[in-house]
Amino acid sequence: MINSILRLGLIFILLFLLQFLLFNNIQFSGYVNPYIYIMFILLLPVEIPSWLLLALSFATGLVMDLFSGTPGMHTSATVLAGFVRPYVLRVISPRDGYEPGVDPSMMIYGFKWFLIYASIIVFIHHLALFYLEVFRFADFFSTMLRVILSSLFSILFILLLEYIRKGK
Amino acid sequence: MRNLLNFLAKYNNLIIFLVLEGIAFYLLSTSNNYHNSRIVKGFRGLASEVEKKVSNTRSYFHLREISKSVSRENSSLRTTIERLTRSEDQLFFSVTDTILHQLYTYSPAEVINNSINRQKNFFTINKGRLQGMSIDMAVASGDCVAGVIVGCSGNYSVVMSLLNLDFRLSARLKSNGYFGSLSWDGSDYRHAILSEIPQHVTFGIGDTIETTGFSAVFPEGILIGTVSGFEKTGGDFYRIKVALATDFKKLHFVNVIGNLRKEEQLELEKQFQ
Repeated sequence: MINSILRLGLIFILLFLLQFLLFNNIQFSGYVNPYIYIMFILLLPVEIPSWLLLALSFATGLVMDLFSGTPGMHTSATVLAGFVRPYVLRVISPRDGYEPGVDPSMMIYGFKWFLIYASIIVFIHHLALFYLEVFRFADFFSTMLRVILSSLFSILFILLLEYIRKGK
Repeated sequence: MRNLLNFLAKYNNLIIFLVLEGIAFYLLSTSNNYHNSRIVKGFRGLASEVEKKVSNTRSYFHLREISKSVSRENSSLRTTIERLTRSEDQLFFSVTDTILHQLYTYSPAEVINNSINRQKNFFTINKGRLQGMSIDMAVASGDCVAGVIVGCSGNYSVVMSLLNLDFRLSARLKSNGYFGSLSWDGSDYRHAILSEIPQHVTFGIGDTIETTGFSAVFPEGILIGTVSGFEKTGGDFYRIKVALATDFKKLHFVNVIGNLRKEEQLELEKQFQ
């Protein structure tokens, strides 16, 4: 229990360091802006109570907001991601259900399952985030393009990080 | 109470989500100038839209009042104009004589009963002897001829409509001043017949027909309608079909026109007949 909390705390810090030191400095052609910190929400244990999940999502988003000077934006997108996570997990659950006490990782449930899981949540998060950022529907399609491209890159980097974690 | 607790227990997840999103949106709207101004603008736009709808509806419900007051105002303005413009070549007059220049009075009335489908049509207006109406006063709808009062009670008057076989009116072509007699042939409520215009007179389709003022009932120059067709009859006269300017099917607000010097004119004329 303590071990798992420490591990998640370490992942949290590492993800935010990566986000701020590396990914916030990536600007491919103005469209692409990967946000990999959402991976923390993906990696929380399956049987975590929903109130704790929402509270942790809120905290994650708030930290992100505090460091990037956009109060509320990341918070609401991340809380939304935390809210939909149980439903996504229920929809894509493996045939014999989830094993208790195991993190939802690629190592256990396989590449395809993790790809679907990460894609849905990252896309929902990015959708909320980018539309909250522009906050109008006037540039609907150019925003949508940014959402899709950034989601692709975020998913790519999250899969990469998950591979590294698996190899460790 | 228990139901409420059950409800909270069932939806605690949704409630926490909504509360946290609420906090996030509060932060979003208060701490970011851009988002704040967008939200304020949005709400203001919404409010003004609703406000517009409400005031539109309200003014629609007040239309009856408004049109009444407009028609009252119209009549009083006409009376004033009448008083001011009819200047005669008179050098000396009493300054206290307020109706010296005035020949006609106007007062508004509402049509409360109307028919157009008989051969002898009458309509009823909501003013009578007590409001100063009397027999042989002219009734106009807007600027157009509608009828003549034929009977008065205390508060109501019956008006012989132009759509009546007994109705006769002296009318003329506005373009050249030739006058004839206008009557209704009992067939179509949009058309009347102008006869006694001699055949050497030139006119065209669309020419205006107006009253002459000879009868001392209608003032001069009240619109009747326009020429919509004509044919030659025996005896060197045209029979002109006139498209009436008044739509008798939707007659509602009318002006009753009284001639202040009618008695004088008729009395004088009687002496030589």
